[in-house]
Amino acid sequence: MTDIIHFNQVGYRYPGGKDVLSDVTFSLGRGEMAFVTGSSGAGKTTLLRLVGLLCKPTRGQVMVDDVNLASLKNGDIAPFRQRIGMVFQNFNLLYDRTVFDNVALPLVIRGFAYSDVQRRVRAALDAVGLLNREKSSPLTLSGGEQQRVGIARAIVSKPALILADEPTGNLDPEMSKEVMKLFERFNQVGVSVLIATHALHLIVHMPHRIIHLDGGKITARRPRTPALSDLPPFPGEDSRGR
Amino acid sequence: MAAEESLQVQPLPLMQRLTQEHTRVFFFSLGKLGRNPVGTLLTALVIGVALALPAGMHVLTQNLSKISYSWQDSLQLSLFLKDSVSSERGAALAREIRGRPGVQATRYISREQSLAEFRSQSGFGDALDVLQDNPLPAVIAVTPERGRNKLQVEVLLGELTRLPEVDLAKLDQKWLERLYAILGIIDRAVFIVGLLLGIAVVVTVGNTIRLDIEARREEISVMKLIGAPDSFIRRPFLYTGFWYGLAGSVFALILVLAGTLALSGPSQTLASLYDSSFTLSGLSFGSSLLLLLTGIVLGWIGAWITVWRHLADIQPQ
Repeated sequence: MTDIIHFNQVGYRYPGGKDVLSDVTFSLGRGEMAFVTGSSGAGKTTLLRLVGLLCKPTRGQVMVDDVNLASLKNGDIAPFRQRIGMVFQNFNLLYDRTVFDNVALPLVIRGFAYSDVQRRVRAALDAVGLLNREKSSPLTLSGGEQQRVGIARAIVSKPALILADEPTGNLDPEMSKEVMKLFERFNQVGVSVLIATHALHLIVHMPHRIIHLDGGKITARRPRTPALSDLPPFPGEDSRGR
Repeated sequence: MAAEESLQVQPLPLMQRLTQEHTRVFFFSLGKLGRNPVGTLLTALVIGVALALPAGMHVLTQNLSKISYSWQDSLQLSLFLKDSVSSERGAALAREIRGRPGVQATRYISREQSLAEFRSQSGFGDALDVLQDNPLPAVIAVTPERGRNKLQVEVLLGELTRLPEVDLAKLDQKWLERLYAILGIIDRAVFIVGLLLGIAVVVTVGNTIRLDIEARREEISVMKLIGAPDSFIRRPFLYTGFWYGLAGSVFALILVLAGTLALSGPSQTLASLYDSSFTLSGLSFGSSLLLLLTGIVLGWIGAWITVWRHLADIQPQ
């Protein structure tokens, strides 16, 4: 399995501030799904921001899809981001546009023909179970539905990698499980998925790798498909996996 | 989400993509303005007034030029001949001068004709009887060709002054020169006012677009997050500037047309008092086109400067 993400001794420091990430080294294989966990301020979001080129590391090297992100010029950033699907805690939808228009945006940006846009947007909405809401305003949808619109938008251009930052942060437990299942479904068809979350109770029973951050450093890793009973309790995890 | 499908479906070729995108943004930006008709109309009206002022002044100078052009028929050079020049030579010289380029007509007035004219028109007939000699010189009245500008007429005057038979040459109707000078000042004023109001249009459009950018800060941030290049984000704002400029210049055209129509009646009345068939002209087709183009370009420039300044400030979080 080749890597789609590779961090090599990556550090990030806010200008004039403290280190948010220190010496982070990890890889995400192609077609792999993994979680980044940790408490607030542990550096989860910064790690994802580095992958999405929303900030640049102050030390080390970040490779994504065989591209050294340090080598990208300003003009290359937008095309690079088009290759990644991003999902956010606060959904980041455009509320003056319909569900269809929101999902279509990545394809419109890339310049697909309208007929292809229509077909692919409907396929993406179908995949997240919202085909019947394509003409609705996101304002009329529940939080879970809005997040599914965000996921449809992330997958519509068939990215090789999906980044999700606290995708269940604003959802109730049932909806959170559904959203996680959606990510698993996309992972099963070969999409690499990296999810930052602090909802350990949701992921502890899922057979995916967990990278745990604390104070900007990787302090624990759980390999893929472990026997859960054999594992020691995860930092911040109680005996029930919460 | 089969991988093979992504191989089949690709973005359109560049030209097709640009055509589709520009068509989309063309109507999208128009629709966005249409959803806020009052604000859009007010902005366009401000731009329209700003453009109408220099355009109206341009119409004024064009009409004044037309008047001065029609008055040019009465523009004459007077060549006062030396007393030693005989009547025959004077008449022959008038014919020679008529053959020169730039001369439309000449009229020879002998010393006797001059005296007779003066006697009949001045009211000093009796006083002239006291004089032993005719003090008036023979004169050749030269009418320059129609359409000659002041400089060309002055060159002609200089040439004729140097003729050996000519004692003194004089350009009549200095008032026309003064009119030309006034027109020159108005022309310059139109340029300065146009420049200042052009800047006002750029600032007006720029400020409107800036508010629009501020209102859409979150949307821009989201677009950057999902990989929209600056050109994609910039485009709707540039088209908005285009629409403002176009709407403003259409307003300006309407205002100038209304002004011309309102003044045409009184100006005709005034002209008829001077036995003139002068009619007030509005903007020509070419000038109207130029006004539309100017409005569009100024709107676009205002939008471009603003977008260029503010877009880089918005970074996705």
